[in-house]
Amino acid sequence: MPKRLTNTQIFVQGLWNDNPVLRQVLGICSTLAVTNLLVNTLVMNAGLVFTVTMSSLTVSLLRKYTPMRIRMMAQTLIIASYVIIVDISIAAYLPDISEALGPYVGLIITNCIVMGRCEAYARNNPPWPSFLDGLAMSLGYSCVLLVIALVREPLGFGTILGQRIMPDGFTPWTIMIMAPGAFFTLGLLVWFLRAYFPLVTQEKKER
Amino acid sequence: MKKRLFSILYMFLLTFFFTSIVSAVKIYSQAKIETNQRVKLQRIILDVLRMPVGEGISNRRVVELFDQRVRETEGKDRTLYVGYAEDGRAITGYAFPVGGPGFWGPIYGMVAVDPSGTEILGVAFYKHSETPGLGARITEDWFTKQFRGLPLRPEEAKKKIFYLKSAGTAQAGNELDAVTGATGTSRAVEAFLNKELAHFLKDIWPEVRKKG
Repeated sequence: MPKRLTNTQIFVQGLWNDNPVLRQVLGICSTLAVTNLLVNTLVMNAGLVFTVTMSSLTVSLLRKYTPMRIRMMAQTLIIASYVIIVDISIAAYLPDISEALGPYVGLIITNCIVMGRCEAYARNNPPWPSFLDGLAMSLGYSCVLLVIALVREPLGFGTILGQRIMPDGFTPWTIMIMAPGAFFTLGLLVWFLRAYFPLVTQEKKER
Repeated sequence: MKKRLFSILYMFLLTFFFTSIVSAVKIYSQAKIETNQRVKLQRIILDVLRMPVGEGISNRRVVELFDQRVRETEGKDRTLYVGYAEDGRAITGYAFPVGGPGFWGPIYGMVAVDPSGTEILGVAFYKHSETPGLGARITEDWFTKQFRGLPLRPEEAKKKIFYLKSAGTAQAGNELDAVTGATGTSRAVEAFLNKELAHFLKDIWPEVRKKG
């Protein structure tokens, strides 16, 4: 069994070394879908942070009792419950954003990051580190989404959080609003990070 | 065998536990969600009937205004919302829901006509799946305001009630600006809204007139 990570290491892993979007390339569907407006991105991030941390915590608390054969079933159930709670809460208290996000909140259930963390970490580790791991991973996801949204909203709409920031003569780049804009932004971001900040293991392999 | 029974029992209890929590949250929020949806619709109806509901108006005020000035009545195949003047007697317009296929998915909207049924008071679209920043701009004021005062009876029977032309080239009274960059959505709106308006005039309006 690998050595247990310290809390700081967990965060370094989640935010940087093992960043779910940039390094593991997980959760791309929602990354592309909800990043055209910063406010949508923020709500989506909050939903994902809640789901990942709570699911990881719950799976970890139940890890000693859950029978091996039905663990995936149990995990899906736990994740789905938290996601539905998020979905209902957003519909009740933020109706406009709920409509803008459409099906994507519900689709957090199938977001690979959530089940990935339950399977890879929470089911073999105690509750507190699992909670931190979930937090770190979901924050890693959130940061990437924020960066992409901060590129897409100004270029696509000329605004940030609905406030106009571009000069009057600026023509919005329509492509930035649509999925291809997100593909280009994400692609450039991954390329930039891999090129200028290669992982230690990656470097070794290349030599 | 014992292991299997445990798995079944375990899953049963887990499901029971989580379903209870989710149901509790749902029941707790149900009323709030329904109010949100109702107020949203009422706001749209008041807006197309040209009653004062700006951004700053609170939900409570919307409900109050709606109760005072709008009565619901069943039309042939849809609910009609009849708008009354402040004295509660004179009718200021009729609003009715419209819907049809958009470019990416169905579009739902609300249209209001004046009491004589000769021109449009207001149009709003409130549910659609068009592209943000392109087709979704049909919900913006500049687009929907163009419909205000649009005559409902075309001079020639075969003509459509309105046409969407590329922005800046609209000239005649029945030509409106389309959304630039969203030709598909504009064509879809032109098609379904004309059809719905024609249907309203032909099948629903005579009945409304009879009722007086």
